[in-house]
Amino acid sequence: MRVSILRQKSAESEPYREIFEYDGSPDNTIAVLLDHINYNDDITDIYGKRTDRISWECSCLQGICGACAMVINGVPALACETFVRDLKGEEIDIRPLSKFPVIRDLIVDRTSIHENLKQTNIYIGEYQPSEKSSHAQQYITAKCLKCGLCLEVCPNYVNGRNFFGAVFANDCYLAASRNRSKSKEIRGVYSKHFGADCSRSLSCMDVCPMKIPTITSIAMMNRK
Amino acid sequence: MKRVLVIGSGISGMACAVRCARHGVHVMLVSPDPSERSQSIMAAGGINAVIADCDAGDSVACHIEDTLKGGCYLGGRRAVTGLCENGEEILKMLVGLGTVFSVDKQGQPLRRAFGGQTYKRTYYCGASTGKQIVSALVMEARRFEAEGLIERRLRCCFHSALIHDGVCYGALLYDETANKPEAVLADAVVMATGGQNALFGKTTGSTQCDGYAEGRLFMQGAALKNLEFIQFHPTTIETPQKRMLISEAARGEGGRLFYERDGKRIYFMEEKYGAKGNLMTRDVISREMGAVKEQVYLDISFLGKKLIDERLPEVRDICAKYGSIDVYTQPIPVSPSVHFFMGGFAVHSHHETNIRSLFAVGECASMYHGANRLGGNSLLAAMYSGGVAAEEIAGRPEVGRAPDFGKFISQEYDKMQERQSADSPFPVMYIRDMLAESMRSHMGIVRDEKSLDEGISDVEHLLSVAEHLRYDSSVRHYTNYSLTGILTLARATLQCARSRKESRGAHYRSDAPKTSDEYGFSTIITYDGGSYNVRLDKEHEYES
Ligand SMILES: Cc1cc2nc3c(=O)[nH]c(=O)nc-3n(C[C@H](O)[C@H](O)[C@H](O)COP(=O)(O)OP(=O)(O)OC[C@H]3O[C@@H](n4cnc5c(N)ncnc54)[C@H](O)[C@@H]3O)c2cc1C
Ligand code: FES
Repeated sequence: MRVSILRQKSAESEPYREIFEYDGSPDNTIAVLLDHINYNDDITDIYGKRTDRISWECSCLQGICGACAMVINGVPALACETFVRDLKGEEIDIRPLSKFPVIRDLIVDRTSIHENLKQTNIYIGEYQPSEKSSHAQQYITAKCLKCGLCLEVCPNYVNGRNFFGAVFANDCYLAASRNRSKSKEIRGVYSKHFGADCSRSLSCMDVCPMKIPTITSIAMMNRK
Repeated sequence: MKRVLVIGSGISGMACAVRCARHGVHVMLVSPDPSERSQSIMAAGGINAVIADCDAGDSVACHIEDTLKGGCYLGGRRAVTGLCENGEEILKMLVGLGTVFSVDKQGQPLRRAFGGQTYKRTYYCGASTGKQIVSALVMEARRFEAEGLIERRLRCCFHSALIHDGVCYGALLYDETANKPEAVLADAVVMATGGQNALFGKTTGSTQCDGYAEGRLFMQGAALKNLEFIQFHPTTIETPQKRMLISEAARGEGGRLFYERDGKRIYFMEEKYGAKGNLMTRDVISREMGAVKEQVYLDISFLGKKLIDERLPEVRDICAKYGSIDVYTQPIPVSPSVHFFMGGFAVHSHHETNIRSLFAVGECASMYHGANRLGGNSLLAAMYSGGVAAEEIAGRPEVGRAPDFGKFISQEYDKMQERQSADSPFPVMYIRDMLAESMRSHMGIVRDEKSLDEGISDVEHLLSVAEHLRYDSSVRHYTNYSLTGILTLARATLQCARSRKESRGAHYRSDAPKTSDEYGFSTIITYDGGSYNVRLDKEHEYES
């Protein structure tokens, strides 16, 4: 099976494509496939040309840390829980998330996610729950991986300068619902950087590895 | 202003950073990736604490006794007392930060039973305790980041410490974004780099925990302790890249271990230990499984779909996703895997190493767990140790002017450049794979001197190869330069296991199967220009 990878040597250089042959099992994940291409033998493309090893990130290798987020056959997904057998077509297409600056190959710089939350002071501070708070929603939003898949798929998210996306909305909800005294302040920045521009395509929910019902966070944040 | 460098941003690193910041101490928090990628997020089961409203009969004294007993009395009593006495305070702090614990109708955190403990005292957050604690600490750290007291440095790795005359003045980091080393001076350096997974390749944990920092600091003079004590978890399923943990809850709910011989199921744990055989401690089950030639299975199918869906959904999902196993109808093929490292930096009660101003906290420090760890105690220790180190650092005067490290820095830089300049197609990952294979066969669940000697000679060989290796420039600098430190740590680990000629806790020697009073002390290992010096800590230098 052919695997086409969009590569880039550094932040400043131009992207280019390289095609590899994968002869491993279809029961492997894309994370295993990448290791297989990198380390099964000398790394060569389908034309036999020796090339660099493909850079990508991982940590947990079981879909709970968000390190390996990338775009696989056009769908933003985690490489370590996407199986070759589930992909359609003759060729697998892999590229880095496009809404973040590329560092090298499939590694992107996702610091904007953390920077935006920091700049807007989204933290709990002190636990003072509001009366109507939903434990189940807080539990699931606190599982957010900060992987960036929701931003990749979002039609409104461009580069994180004004609109901060679902990852921001869910952290806003978590902080506001766990500390009622910060709720008003958080609703202000929420509205400015999310509420006002979200067009409710909700594609973020389709790709979220933790299956966070962002729509519930939105509904709770809009409730007065 | 006092400045602290914290290396590693899992639970222990963040706990230390937040506590320092509360004292107005400036923290640089360094890790290759954000805290959401640390191994801490993988902790599922829970965190131990005895609170005022504990189970009838339970007490802090009982938690202390369980911990010491679990560790075969190698954990320091004073240190363990501090740990357990602070359980309630730590739980309160985590609740106060907004951690989403599982709660009862009154909003009080729920507790569950965990192996090796006399009473229920493990507080949990559904099946993602570590992740929920990380999320709460990330928010609290963010608050101090916004105030400028915590400065996070991502894509940055530890390279070496700046040490002069037994005092640490900072560290040399490698900045992967700028692609160059950077020296950072600090009043204290806190290592919070987690376990040593890379020695074994596939484990239940994260690929980010590689033990390099311990290996490198060991070479720079830091004493290490109890490296031979490595906990194996009996029930994991193997995938091409890792070992996935099948929670103890599966056996807690009634799951049965068996193997098949001549078409018949042999429930070996029940046959040997009776009805509760499947609930024996992790090391006993792991050893029994190691003695079985056939594939061992864990059967939960008979528990029924309803119970599995309600109580063991993670087990069901992991098996379906990564093993194509339908647990409603099929048994799960399981085998033991390296899971937790009781050994690490030798530290004094306030978590300072033998090098002044160099501290170690969390799983990379060896202190509370002795020869074996109780489930739920490591999250407690990560929180507690981070706090203890921070209090000590905050109370100390600033270190003052650092000596000139210019020569050391340029030497290290030149070494890196030289290795990098001639490209090699032979990647260090191949050597890491060879190391893991050797460690798995010689540092496994059952050890003996002959096999450990073979392991030592394997690692010596790999070390000599690593000395002459040119780097593969297409992988991260860190992957390349970390190799020697990782190999050295492996070599030290084998040496510790060879020296302990008895069996105790997680260390089992088939050529010395009994526990011996003579060895009732911690192992301390130091490095001196290529020689590995082991002694027993009979004076309790590191346990007070
Ligand atoms: C599957 C699993 C389940 C577990 N369940 C439980 C449980 O239920 N209860 C419990 O008490 N314990 C549990 N544990 C153990 C517990 O999770 C760990 O002991 C604890 O989280 C360790 O925290 P830490 O802060 O010391 O290290 P980690 O969370 O491992 O963090 C290490 C940090 O150091 C960084 N780092 C590493 N090397 C370098 C370097 N060279 N330079 C810079 N940074 C570096 C990493 O990137 C990371 O940020 C479990 C472990 C696993 C694997
Ligand atoms: S490596 Fe953690 S989600 Fe893929």
